[in-house]
Amino acid sequence: MELEKKRTTPSTPALAQKRAAAYRLGTIVLIALAVLTAIEFAVGRSGTAIVALLIIGLFKAGLILQYYMHISLLWSDEGGHG
Amino acid sequence: MSTIASTMADYRHQLRNNRLGLWLFFISEAFLFGGLFVSRFYLWGNTRPELDQTLGLTITSILLLSSFFMNRAEMAIAHDDRRTFLNSLLITAALGILFLIGVVGFEWRGHIRPWDGAFGAVLFGMTGMHALHVLSGVIFILIVWNNGRKGHYSSERHWGVEACAIYWHYVDVIWVFFYPALYLMGTVVR
Amino acid sequence: MRILLSLGLVRGLIAQAAGTAFGMALTMAIRVLLGLPAWNAEPVMVAGALVGVISFLVGVGAFTDWFKWVKGEETPMRHGPPEGRPAWTRYLSVDYSHKVIGVQYVVTGIALMLVAGLLAWIFRTELTQPGLQFLDAPTFNTMISAHGIVMIAAILLGVSGMMNYLVPLMIGASDMAFPRLNALGYWVNVPGAILVVAAMFVGGWNTGWTGYPPLSVQSPLGTPLFLLGVYFVGLSSILGAINIIVTILRMRTPGMTLFRMPIFVWASLAASIIQLTGTQLIGLSFLMVVVERVLGMGFFNPNLSPEAIALGSPPGNVLLFQHLFWFYSHPAVYIFVLPGLGIISELLPVFARKPLFGYRWVALSSMAIALVGFLVWAHHMFTAGMDPGLRVPMMYSTLLVAVPTGVKFFSWVATVWQGKLSFPTPMLFVLGAISVFLLGGLSGPPNGTVTTDLFLHDTYWIVGHFHATMFGGFVFPFFAAIYYWFPKVTGRKYNETLGKLHFWLMTPAFWVQTLAQMDVGLKGMRRRIVDYDPALGIETGHLLITIAGFVIGLSILVMLYNLVRSARTGEVAEANPWRSRSPEWQIPSPVPEHSYARPFVVVGDPYDYGLPGSTYIQFAPSGASE
Repeated sequence: MELEKKRTTPSTPALAQKRAAAYRLGTIVLIALAVLTAIEFAVGRSGTAIVALLIIGLFKAGLILQYYMHISLLWSDEGGHG
Repeated sequence: MSTIASTMADYRHQLRNNRLGLWLFFISEAFLFGGLFVSRFYLWGNTRPELDQTLGLTITSILLLSSFFMNRAEMAIAHDDRRTFLNSLLITAALGILFLIGVVGFEWRGHIRPWDGAFGAVLFGMTGMHALHVLSGVIFILIVWNNGRKGHYSSERHWGVEACAIYWHYVDVIWVFFYPALYLMGTVVR
Repeated sequence: MRILLSLGLVRGLIAQAAGTAFGMALTMAIRVLLGLPAWNAEPVMVAGALVGVISFLVGVGAFTDWFKWVKGEETPMRHGPPEGRPAWTRYLSVDYSHKVIGVQYVVTGIALMLVAGLLAWIFRTELTQPGLQFLDAPTFNTMISAHGIVMIAAILLGVSGMMNYLVPLMIGASDMAFPRLNALGYWVNVPGAILVVAAMFVGGWNTGWTGYPPLSVQSPLGTPLFLLGVYFVGLSSILGAINIIVTILRMRTPGMTLFRMPIFVWASLAASIIQLTGTQLIGLSFLMVVVERVLGMGFFNPNLSPEAIALGSPPGNVLLFQHLFWFYSHPAVYIFVLPGLGIISELLPVFARKPLFGYRWVALSSMAIALVGFLVWAHHMFTAGMDPGLRVPMMYSTLLVAVPTGVKFFSWVATVWQGKLSFPTPMLFVLGAISVFLLGGLSGPPNGTVTTDLFLHDTYWIVGHFHATMFGGFVFPFFAAIYYWFPKVTGRKYNETLGKLHFWLMTPAFWVQTLAQMDVGLKGMRRRIVDYDPALGIETGHLLITIAGFVIGLSILVMLYNLVRSARTGEVAEANPWRSRSPEWQIPSPVPEHSYARPFVVVGDPYDYGLPGSTYIQFAPSGASE
C-alpha cells in the first residue's frame, strides 16, 4: 500500500530516472532481438536446421513475453508497471 | 474490455481481470496460429518454396522495430511522458502499415498465387491470417492514439494502452515463429 | 409496434437482412470493377453472410458500448430492465445481467433443439421402411446434416446457459467478469444459427455435420453458410469460455478455495478450458474449406495444377482437415457432457441427504477428462488411412478416458448408497442420466479399440453410442437442472405430475431407441444413408427407433407445456424447496437484480448433507436482517 501511495505522487527526478531505465531496457531487448534474428537468418541460409531455428524462435518469443508483454504482471497483485 | 470504474480499487480489480482475460484470448489464438503452423509442416514437410529472402528479413525487422516503439509508448504513458507516448504510437502504426505493404504489396505479388497447390494455400493462409491481425492491431493503435490525444490516459490508468501494446507484441510473437517456418526452415524446391 | 421496433432482436434481424443484401451488392460491384462476371453465387453469398452477421451484432446493440469507448466516452453499467418498457423486453434485447443471458441461452438452446428434433421426426419417418418414400437423397442428406449440427449448437447453448446462470451465483460473484463480452457471446449465436438454418434453403449440404472434404469442397451452396454459421457459434464458445474462466479464477467469495467450489463450477472450468483452446481448430478447419471453395486454395485438394507442379509444390491432403477437426470435435463432446455430469454430482447429495463421496476425486476427474480428451482425437480416423503408427497410442489414450469417468460413477453409486432418497422429477432425471450414460459409456470402448472399430465405424452402432452419451451426459442432466432450478428462476413451482410423466415417457423410449440403433448397426445399417436392404432384417428395429423418437419428442412437448404454464400460473415456490446448502437457495426467488444483498463467506465443505452442525456458508452480518 505504501509503495502505491509513493507511485501516485512521485518526485520528478525519481520518475525521470525510472523512465530512462524503462526506455533503456526496451532498447537492450531490441538489440538482443536483432542479434537473434541475424543468427536465425544465418542459420536458415546455411542449412535446414529446423530444431535450431525453433529454439532461437523460443528465445525471441521469451524475450518479448517477459520484457515487452510483462507476462509476470499476471501473477502480481500490483496494478502498474514495475 | 476496460471500464471506467469509480474508485482506484475497483479499477485495479477490473484491471487484473482484464489482463487475465486478454491473456486467455492469446492462449486461444495460439491454438489458431498453432493449427496453421502445424498445417505448414503437415503439408510442406521438410520443403519450402523459393521466396524473396531480402523481403522476408526486411518485414521481420520492421515488425520487431515496431514492437520496440510500442513498448516505448507504453513505458512513456506509464511514466507521464505524453509526447513520447503519442509519437511512438504513430511510429508503431506507420511501421505496421509498412509491414502490411510488404506482405500484401510485395510478397503476395510474387510468383506464387493462392491456388498454387499446398505452397500457395499455406503461404497465403499463414500470412493472410497474420496480416488480418496486424491490420486490427493498427486500427487499435490509431484508436488509442486518438483517445490519448484527447488526454484519456494517465500513468495510473492506461489499460487501453496496455491492452493495445500487448496485443501488438503478441502479433509480433506469432511472426517470430511464422517467419522461419515460411522463409528459413526446410530445403528450397526449385 | 413501437415496442416491437425497440427490441434488439428485431433491429438485429432487420440489420442482418439489410447487411446481407449490402454485402452481396458490394461484392458484385467489386467483381464488376475487377472485370469478372457480376454473379458468382459462392463468393457473393459468403461475403453477404459475413457482412450480415456483423450487421446483426451492430443492429442488436452488442457493440454500442465499445463504439463509445472507441470515441472515448464513458459507459456506466446499466442494471435492471430498460426504462419505460415492459420487463420482458430485456430478454429480447442486449442485457448485461448474467441471469438474463443465462435464460436467453437456455431458451434459444431449447428452440434450436425443437428445430433439430423436428428434422429427426421427418427423416426417421422416411427410414421406417426401406426404399425411398417421400424424401429424395439430397433432402435427406441435408436433414441429417442439419439435425446433427443444430443439435450441437443447441447443446452448446444449453451448456453456456447453465454456466452463465449458475456459476456466478454459486461462487458468490455479483456478475460475470466481462458482462458486455458476455452479451456479445450470446448474441453472436443468433445470426450464426440463422446462417445454418438458411443453408438448408439455398441448396442444403450433404456432408453430415462433420463437413469432411473433399465432399464439402464440392457440395451444394448451403455448405459455406453452414460452415460460417458454425464458425460464429464457435466464436461464442471462445468468448464465453474467457468469461467463465476469469470469473471462476478471480471472483470467488472469501473462503471459497478451489477445493470448496461446487462440482458444477469445477466442471464448468474444465469445459471452458476445452472451449477456449480447441474451438479455434474447428474454426480453422472450416475456414480452410471456405477459402478452398471461394479462392481455390488447395489445403485439401490432392490434385495439382500445371503451375503448381512447375513450382514443385506438394499437394493438399484431406486428412489435414480430419486432424484439425477432431482435435476440437472429440474434446467437444466433453464440453457437452462435463457440465451435465457436474449437475449429477451437484444434485445427488441433495436428494440423498448425504455428502458427495470423494469430492476431491470428482473435482479432479473433470480436469483429467478435459486434459486426456486432447490426446484421443485420431480414434475417429482409424479407417481414414492415417499413419498406422497413430492407431495404437490413440486407442490406449481413448480407453484411458474411462478411468476418470469411472471415478465419477463410483462416486455417484457411493453417494446414493444408504442415502435417504426422495424422488421428485429432478432426481428422476439424474438417475435416468446415470443409467443412460452408463449405456453410452459401455458402448464406447468397442469404438475406441482399433480391431472392433474397423467393423463398427460408420454404422448405426456409433449413432446409438453417441446418442446415449449425449442424452446421458447432457439432455437428462439438462432437464434435471431445468426442473431443479425452475423455482429459483421463476419463483414458481412446476407441475410435479407432468414432470414425472415427462420422465416416464422419455426414459423407456430412449432406452428402446438407443438399443435398437446399436442393434441395427451391428446388423449392417450404415449411418447417414437414406435407404437400406430389407434383407438385413432390420425393419422392426427401424420402426422401433422411429416410434421411440416420436415418444421422446412428445415428452419434451409435455415438458414445455408444463414449464410455460407453471411460469405463468404455477403455485408460488417456497424459498428453498430442496433444502439445498448452496448459496443461491438462501436468497429470495426469483433471484434479485443484484443477487446477494449481503456478501457471504464460505466456512465449510459444500456437500456435507446430513452431517450435524456442518455449515457451508455464512452471510455477513448486517443491520437489515432478512
